[in-house]
Amino acid sequence: MALRNRARSTRLLVVTLVSVSLVTITVDYRQGEEGPLAEMGSAALTVISPLQEAVSKVTHPIGNFFSTLFRLPSIRRENQELRDQVAALEQEVATTRADLDRLAALEALLGLQASLGRKTETTAAQVIANGVSNFEWSITIDKGSSDGIVEDMPVVANAGLVGHIVRVGPSSSVVQLIIDPDSFVAGRLDVSRGMGLLSGEGGSDLRMSLVEATVEVAPGERVVTAGYRIPGDVQSLYPPNILIGTVSRVLPQESALENLVTVRPAVDFSTLDLVLVVLSSDGGE
Amino acid sequence: MRRILLLSGVILTALLLQTTIFAELNLLGAKPELVYLLTIVFAILEGPASGAIAGFAGGMAQDFLLDAPKGITALTLTLLGYAMGMARQYIVSPSPALPVLLVAGGTFAGVVFHGVVSFLLGELDTSWLYLIRIAFLSALYNAILTPLVYPVLRRAAEGSRSRRVLRW
Repeated sequence: MALRNRARSTRLLVVTLVSVSLVTITVDYRQGEEGPLAEMGSAALTVISPLQEAVSKVTHPIGNFFSTLFRLPSIRRENQELRDQVAALEQEVATTRADLDRLAALEALLGLQASLGRKTETTAAQVIANGVSNFEWSITIDKGSSDGIVEDMPVVANAGLVGHIVRVGPSSSVVQLIIDPDSFVAGRLDVSRGMGLLSGEGGSDLRMSLVEATVEVAPGERVVTAGYRIPGDVQSLYPPNILIGTVSRVLPQESALENLVTVRPAVDFSTLDLVLVVLSSDGGE
Repeated sequence: MRRILLLSGVILTALLLQTTIFAELNLLGAKPELVYLLTIVFAILEGPASGAIAGFAGGMAQDFLLDAPKGITALTLTLLGYAMGMARQYIVSPSPALPVLLVAGGTFAGVVFHGVVSFLLGELDTSWLYLIRIAFLSALYNAILTPLVYPVLRRAAEGSRSRRVLRW
């Protein structure tokens, strides 16, 4: 009798918990981005991000150590390649520096800098955690609304485009990476000048679609962001001419209307450490 | 009271580890699903009711850190904890491999179920192939972690049971 009672109370408990879950799903689904549940989400972010930061400080070297162990052969090869590159680049730097100085002077003269965003304001941020799920490609950084960060701001790293801010807490925020399947970036091919839409594919290369079939794309070509502005108030999320990556493959044409291109991101998302958040691309325009 | 503290501590630790160190130590691109692992181990050790509660609490905690509709993981893990607790009652096997097998099977089923619910809500942005691959890899990863996690949790659960105040 007692056993049956216990089984019944367990079932009741499970039914209750399942109902609460279903109600939560429904309420959150209907309210979307600005309901009390979304606010509780950012509160959770506020609580956990300092802890993540602390744990990350401790575990980062350990994680690094093990991932280095696993990747030792490729690292050795990379080391050799890098040494060769350094030698070649040192040579190049010596000859280029003088040219660069002249170029900078000329650019300033032509007012070219203005078009690249002379007053671009950025803030540096430290990556403190990665996404919690296998189905979301995001990182958490240690700057938030108190540093002037708002949603949709672009995030870049030394190598190129990283993504944009999707959630903001007081002192931390979440960045959706461009490899997230929810992410779409308007891109422009550097040489052939073709435009296209880059969407994330998770762990694999980005997919660039809507490239016109008449554009001849070559592997290795660089892809940069295509900033656009429609007079009025519509403006692209990302400022123009930020490196996204290089073309890795041009897929055989499935239809005659568009090329399908895969693009390897310039940024190595597994080793991101410091990023720059673009606060305003050209002085509050 | 001690069990609530234990459960919260364990869930928080799992979430922290999953977003920090396991983000770097991935297995062919997949992270382990530590909260799934905890739910299944709790269900094996403490029965269906505790399994359901652990799953619900852990799932909710994980959901609030995600940018997806909240509650999907809680739903998945409540059912998973209950199912695993029930399954454990019907299997009489002293084999030490049993928790590993239950964790592997449970994680796989749980991740696929989560994917199906996300799909029904229009929130699954990956292909089915990726879903199955991740379900398989995280099940494998969780199975590998089970021999490390299981003894620790068993000791912790037994410690908190000695002064039982309320029975879940």
